[in-house]
Amino acid sequence: MPQKISLRIDGELIHTAAGQSILDAAKAHNKFIPALCHMKGLSSVGACRLCIVEVAGVGRLLPACTTPVQDGMSVTTQSDKLRRYRRIALELLFAERNHVCAVCVSNGFCELQGLAKRLGVTNVRYPYTYPKVPIDLTHPRYTADQNRCILCSRCVRVCAEVEGAHVWEISGRGVGSRLVCELNRSWGESTNCTSCGKCVQSCPTGAIAEKGFAVEEMSKRTDPISRLATLRAAGSDNKPGVIL
Amino acid sequence: MKRISDLSSFNDVREAGLSKLLPDRPRIAIGMGTCGTGNGAESVYHAFADAINTRGLGMNLARTGCFGFCAAEPLVNVYLPGKPLVILQRVQPNDVPGILDDLASGRMPTGLALCKIEEWDHITGHVRFGVGLPEIPHWHEVPFFTGQKKIVLRNCGLINPNEIDEYIAIGGYQALYKVLIDNNPDMVIEAVKAAKLRGRGGAGYQTGIKWEFLRKAQSERKYIICNADEGDPGAYMNRNEIESDPHSLIEGMIIGGYVMGATEGILYVRAEYPLAVHRLNSAIEQARECGLLGDNILGRGFRFDLQLVEGAGAFVCGEETALIRSLEGKAGRPTPRPPYPAEHGLYGCPTNINNVETWYNIAPIVIKGPGWFTETGSAKSPGTKVFSLVGKVNNTGLVEMPLGTPLKTFVYDVGGGGTHGRAIKAVQTGGPSGGCIPQEMFDTPVDYESLGQLGSIMGSGGMVVMDEDNCMVDVARYFIEFTHSESCGKCIPCRVGLDKSLYYLNRITQGKGTEADFDLLDDLSRMIRDTSLCGLGQTAPNPVLTTMRHFRHEFEDHIRAARCRAGVCEDLALSPCENSCPLHMNIPRFLQLLKEDRLEEAFVSVVMDNPLPASTGRVCQHPCDNRCRRTGVDSAVNMREVHRYIADAIYPSDRFDALASDIAARRKPLTGKRCAVVGAGPTGLACAFYLCMLGHEVMVYDSNPAAGGMLRYALPDYRLPKDVLDREVELIRRTGVQFTFNTQVPRDVSLNDLDGQYDAVFLSIGTWKESWVYLPGTELTGVIPALPFLEAVSKEQPVPLGKRVTVIGGGNAAIDSARTALRLGSKVTIIYRRERKDMPAIPEETEAAEAEGAEIVFLATPHRIVGGPDGRVQAIEAVRTKLGEYDSSGRRRPMPTNEIIRFACDTVILAVGETVDLDFAKASGLKIKESGLIEVDRYTLETSRSKFYAGGDLITGASNVSNAMGYGKKAARNIDRRLMNVRRWEEVFPSFEYDQAPPAHASEAPRHHVEEVDAAQRATTFAEATIGLAPVDAMEEACRCLRCDVRNGDH
Repeated sequence: MPQKISLRIDGELIHTAAGQSILDAAKAHNKFIPALCHMKGLSSVGACRLCIVEVAGVGRLLPACTTPVQDGMSVTTQSDKLRRYRRIALELLFAERNHVCAVCVSNGFCELQGLAKRLGVTNVRYPYTYPKVPIDLTHPRYTADQNRCILCSRCVRVCAEVEGAHVWEISGRGVGSRLVCELNRSWGESTNCTSCGKCVQSCPTGAIAEKGFAVEEMSKRTDPISRLATLRAAGSDNKPGVIL
Repeated sequence: MKRISDLSSFNDVREAGLSKLLPDRPRIAIGMGTCGTGNGAESVYHAFADAINTRGLGMNLARTGCFGFCAAEPLVNVYLPGKPLVILQRVQPNDVPGILDDLASGRMPTGLALCKIEEWDHITGHVRFGVGLPEIPHWHEVPFFTGQKKIVLRNCGLINPNEIDEYIAIGGYQALYKVLIDNNPDMVIEAVKAAKLRGRGGAGYQTGIKWEFLRKAQSERKYIICNADEGDPGAYMNRNEIESDPHSLIEGMIIGGYVMGATEGILYVRAEYPLAVHRLNSAIEQARECGLLGDNILGRGFRFDLQLVEGAGAFVCGEETALIRSLEGKAGRPTPRPPYPAEHGLYGCPTNINNVETWYNIAPIVIKGPGWFTETGSAKSPGTKVFSLVGKVNNTGLVEMPLGTPLKTFVYDVGGGGTHGRAIKAVQTGGPSGGCIPQEMFDTPVDYESLGQLGSIMGSGGMVVMDEDNCMVDVARYFIEFTHSESCGKCIPCRVGLDKSLYYLNRITQGKGTEADFDLLDDLSRMIRDTSLCGLGQTAPNPVLTTMRHFRHEFEDHIRAARCRAGVCEDLALSPCENSCPLHMNIPRFLQLLKEDRLEEAFVSVVMDNPLPASTGRVCQHPCDNRCRRTGVDSAVNMREVHRYIADAIYPSDRFDALASDIAARRKPLTGKRCAVVGAGPTGLACAFYLCMLGHEVMVYDSNPAAGGMLRYALPDYRLPKDVLDREVELIRRTGVQFTFNTQVPRDVSLNDLDGQYDAVFLSIGTWKESWVYLPGTELTGVIPALPFLEAVSKEQPVPLGKRVTVIGGGNAAIDSARTALRLGSKVTIIYRRERKDMPAIPEETEAAEAEGAEIVFLATPHRIVGGPDGRVQAIEAVRTKLGEYDSSGRRRPMPTNEIIRFACDTVILAVGETVDLDFAKASGLKIKESGLIEVDRYTLETSRSKFYAGGDLITGASNVSNAMGYGKKAARNIDRRLMNVRRWEEVFPSFEYDQAPPAHASEAPRHHVEEVDAAQRATTFAEATIGLAPVDAMEEACRCLRCDVRNGDH
């Protein structure tokens, strides 16, 4: 039996099991903390920094996805500073690649777009970088368009941790980071890819999408993957490679 | 190598080592760290080896590490039995025969000696070399080493890093032996905790506590790691430590492994340190052979081994979680903590990571105990820290100082102050993660907390000194460029945020930045600092945030005036000389025009840049000289004298008339705007000239009967003959400037009158009031202030000057007064409270005054003027001072002694500074600063009253002629902009076609100096004391220019 602890999130007293993250605890109690790189069932990497929260007595901001709850903790998920910083992070993402919602398959279903709307990002103050990045259309069923990639690494993790195929990786560093398929070959040439589509469903934007969808058509479902991953973690005999 | 399994075999190795360190014949050891090798130590070594071989000398030759004083490399230690160890500096191969001659005959080669060491405390052991050689200073008497305490560097540069027995000879591996014999790991951890040893990698976490975590961690496998991925630009402490003394690191790690229960240790060494890797590998090999690594260490049944891994070449791998990933063979990207490595580290096992230097402190703490360790340093941060002191200081090198030592000790005492006597502006600590600390804050003790409060960090110990030639915006840009390219790209703030930060900094350094950019950059930097995943991102904005905080004016200069005072930002400066000139004269252009024998065009070029070229050519402080790149070859081009030559060649000639008409004809069509200039000094004249050329109607008011201000009434004739000035004023008059003399504002014409009659008013009255100085006896007859004295002399009014004159002060007014008094037949003594190099006066002027017979007494502060019964001055008494601590201006503060010196005299001239006539400022109704100076916008020179501008001494306090004229020029530009509402400033200036290639063969001639009239002859007359350059010399000087202004030349 996991130990029960109490903490406060935005003033509300919450009783929850020890060992889980602030983000999970908040979610379970219908508290909204924005996040992009986090996906239920996958390991947390704390990369997008949108889920930063203030914890009383801690000088710095902490990512809710990787910080475990502690008894007596007092967490603030919304403040002027947090809102400002989250807004900057989203603006930086928009400025980094070439996000043009109007022509995107995921328009209307995109998590980046949704968060921007929800957090009130109406304009981007930073200059756009307009990088030239590759689009991979070689896979028979799927597309990978790095113009829309936010490097959240959800595809990398879902492929490694749930599917066990290790197709995706991130190469390079800094702003030169790029999503690569295996040892930087085109997706169509991949020998590991099982075409299971988990990366497609996990991708929060239109970067990895299914062919045959037009603008505003590509909605995604992460729940089945999360459920599968949770079951597997609980010791179910589901083998990697199961196609959903 | 013999395996050490018990005390007696330990002692055998020790004896062998001692006989190498203190042989019964001469020993020569060459400092061959990377720093020494880079300075030619390899060839010195071979020169010694060959000579010893061919001559068949019975001498030992060895390699050693670096003793720390990198500026004096190559260092060579020489030892003669019974004598102190002597360290020779800057040894070159051709010094070798002489050194060997001396040694062979039993003498010490004292000529190259840096210092001597009679005995040395290796902390784990003690070595006595011998006594004697009084002519050579002890090592701690050398300024660079004063105050240093070598704990980490205890063996560096003294033992051979390739020989384990030398390390054992000075007490090496004794701490390990003790720990294994005591068999009480908790006691060791308690000792490290009690010593409050903080992690030397930068974060400063308590080492003992970290060790305890790992000791308590339950796991089959535990790892300890040494982080030697030193990647900060300008930092090389760890490299030198490993290269000079690898065994101390190994010993520290074996002890750590034993007490924490780890059986495996990993050294993660930067791959760019090949020598360190090589020496460490061979040291590990030797330690294995001796039974100090591997199974059954020292026969005590403990198993531990070390493995060296070369870094992957990424700065971020210095971050512990990224380092662990890199060791695991993955991409070096950090992971969030928790979990901390102590719970979940390398391959998921509990792991402890410490910096190289932390490990070096372990053996001393074990041997000497925590009590001894905490005696050094500050209460919260005991012990020492090694810093690499680099940049613009005279003495660069590795400095080990107790923590808590003030920053100024590093910069001024150890570092020996700025190179070329330049003023130091800031110190950057902690590399790209640190911040810039301005010179005003050099009292800050160097420890973890104090640096953190200033927005910087201790970091691994890099200390980069910057002087006035460093642009702080560019420094920030440089470090962001570094962290930007080293960001792993995992988290958004660091990956994209630094990219955008770099964008803004690039714009600002190109002069394209806006104030909105500044605010966005500030906001973004805070966001990156507060939200990044790992230490790299969290600290990367520090250089930006600290420079924004402490050097905001430099950002403003770039943004509002597109100026880079340091001349670093290439897009904002034509050349270093142009950039340093307050008038921003296009110096390379007039030099080139003269070189092409186009004298008349050179004259137009000069006059249009500076309407008083003959006067400034004589009296300017020539800041251009200090920045001239030719200084790096021989000495600066004599630019001031060349434009004096150009002006002197035209003004008195028959070509003047036509050229003056040409220039007047360049005046733009009348705009119908009327401008008033108050004050016909250099500032006012410059402003009037440009306003007039821009087509405005200009009236200049002055209370005196002629134009020139200080140039006419304060500068003695021997420096600036009045006819020279008259001709220059004539040119300005011919462009259309009108003058109203003998009219004082606001007495005769009020500011309201001016407001009513003119569209813009420029105020530029000078500093005609003597600063008040508290000195008993100033009321006596015979005490006169300098400016009224000089003014009276120039107006040929009678002055009450006695036979013996004492001048108090060290500025130009003091020297002018002294030389004037000499010419009036008095005997002159100048009293100045600081040293010669601190004098604000132009050095050439000071020298000329001495040549003419003035005596200068330095380091004396007048404390009273003694009067006789008749109320007349009889003498002046001064307190002799000695140099004390460095003050906030970077000069050593004069401290009074008990010695009083008395100078008999009948006249005292006070030249202790001048201020603006406060009455004017008060009466003007303009906003005044606390100092009594008029407040203006730094960039537009607008005062608090619309239409009214002010410049020159009125806003800066007493300055010099070119500075003052620079303000006049700037005011004209801003007034025109306001009046006309369009940018038309550039249209006034003529353009010239001239050669745009760097000179294929710049003249190799040395600098041409002006000829001075013989001192005895000139001291009796007010005729000009210098004779300008001859035509050939001026031409030759022009040919010396290296043409830094050419950017895309053929070469």
